[in-house]
Amino acid sequence: MSSNFKSVLFAIVLCLACSLLLTMASSGLKGYQLRNIKLDRQKNLLRSAGLIDDQNNNRPESIEKLYSEKIKSLWVDPSGRIVKETEREQNDLPVYLYIKENAVEAYIVPINAQGLWGKINGYLAINKDGSTINGFTVYKHSETPGLGGEIERSWFQRNFEGKKIVNKEGKFVSISIARGAVKDVIQKDFQANFVDGISGATLTGKFLSASMKDILKEYESVSVKFRQNMIKEIPGNNGAEN
Amino acid sequence: MKTTETKTLKVIFEPIWKNNPIMVQILGICSSLAVTVQLKTAIVMAIALTLVVAFSNLTVSVLRNAIPRNIRIIAELCIVATLVILADELLKAFMYDISKQLSVFVGLIITNCIVMGRAESFALANPPLLSFLDGLGNGIGYGSVLIAVAFIRELMGSGKLLGFDVVPQAFYLSGYENMGFMLLAPAAFIIIGLLVWLQRTLLNK
Repeated sequence: MSSNFKSVLFAIVLCLACSLLLTMASSGLKGYQLRNIKLDRQKNLLRSAGLIDDQNNNRPESIEKLYSEKIKSLWVDPSGRIVKETEREQNDLPVYLYIKENAVEAYIVPINAQGLWGKINGYLAINKDGSTINGFTVYKHSETPGLGGEIERSWFQRNFEGKKIVNKEGKFVSISIARGAVKDVIQKDFQANFVDGISGATLTGKFLSASMKDILKEYESVSVKFRQNMIKEIPGNNGAEN
Repeated sequence: MKTTETKTLKVIFEPIWKNNPIMVQILGICSSLAVTVQLKTAIVMAIALTLVVAFSNLTVSVLRNAIPRNIRIIAELCIVATLVILADELLKAFMYDISKQLSVFVGLIITNCIVMGRAESFALANPPLLSFLDGLGNGIGYGSVLIAVAFIRELMGSGKLLGFDVVPQAFYLSGYENMGFMLLAPAAFIIIGLLVWLQRTLLNK
């Protein structure tokens, strides 16, 4: 047997053995991994609404229970009208409602934004007044750890709590990430529309701000309804909101 | 028997102190800068790397007579890559939060020079058990530095250990502040530098 043939044979056998092992591991663990991803999404959604904080270790069962009790997901069309899940069209948008004591407490908008290096996925919870942010979370991103990656830290996400997506006159302006601390770089009148930026991650902030503006603009029709106090009951239960 | 015993002990203990992969061989610096902000991630990384080095050493050593010389680097790479992906998949399935924090760094274990270095310089020439122990020793040597750096960084940078507050509230009230610099990568460089200095001083006594 020539040594070249032996090398090729060895390589083939090694590759086969390795790929077989990995395939087995991957398909065997897929169930656990998918459940983790789903739980993580639900946890972030609950966290954006302020239902759980990031400190205590929440058990998977309690997260699933809390999610099914307090969160209701529905679809709206671009004019802000609720559509049935089965009849939804391509332009319709997903919204999650945080139900507290049989009333809508807040609505949660999925943020699928463009970051510097890739997509940033998260949730933005807005109070039922349609203008105040309840919370913001990020569950997936590919920003540089330590720089743009700071968007997943709680100090940055806490920044958003209580900020407004409308200006003093009540007009939509979105929320932006400042270059530095808000109190240093933003005029007093506009401070409610800005959050503290991350040092060393100006571009991540810039991209995230721009994407958030686009997303919130799409959801403006929903926000307006909340601002005009048109959503009082839980929609979808009896089709009341139409 | 005496000689084999001391050799085994030497194989496992030398890389922990006298020939530490980070402090003496200056390998694996990249990941030790990245994952040492918190103690928890450092511990998980240390365990993951120790297991990967130990098992890659074991596998390479078992196959050392079968691996053709001319493709040995690729064969080692293939084995290490498989183990790294396995570790990553396991973390994703059972320790999802930590795997998110470690993000790319688990996958990057493969680029950690310690793994390939040990496979190439030790496992190819030594029997399986000894190679396995050598991997364990090097992993622990790497991990202990990682944990020491993370201990200092988390304590000084965020006043916590393993996520629990350890600096008493009274300190903050009387004007103590966390050192934000400790959370940035350069701080790890400085701490590693100081550790190298400490270790050399102690060794040269």
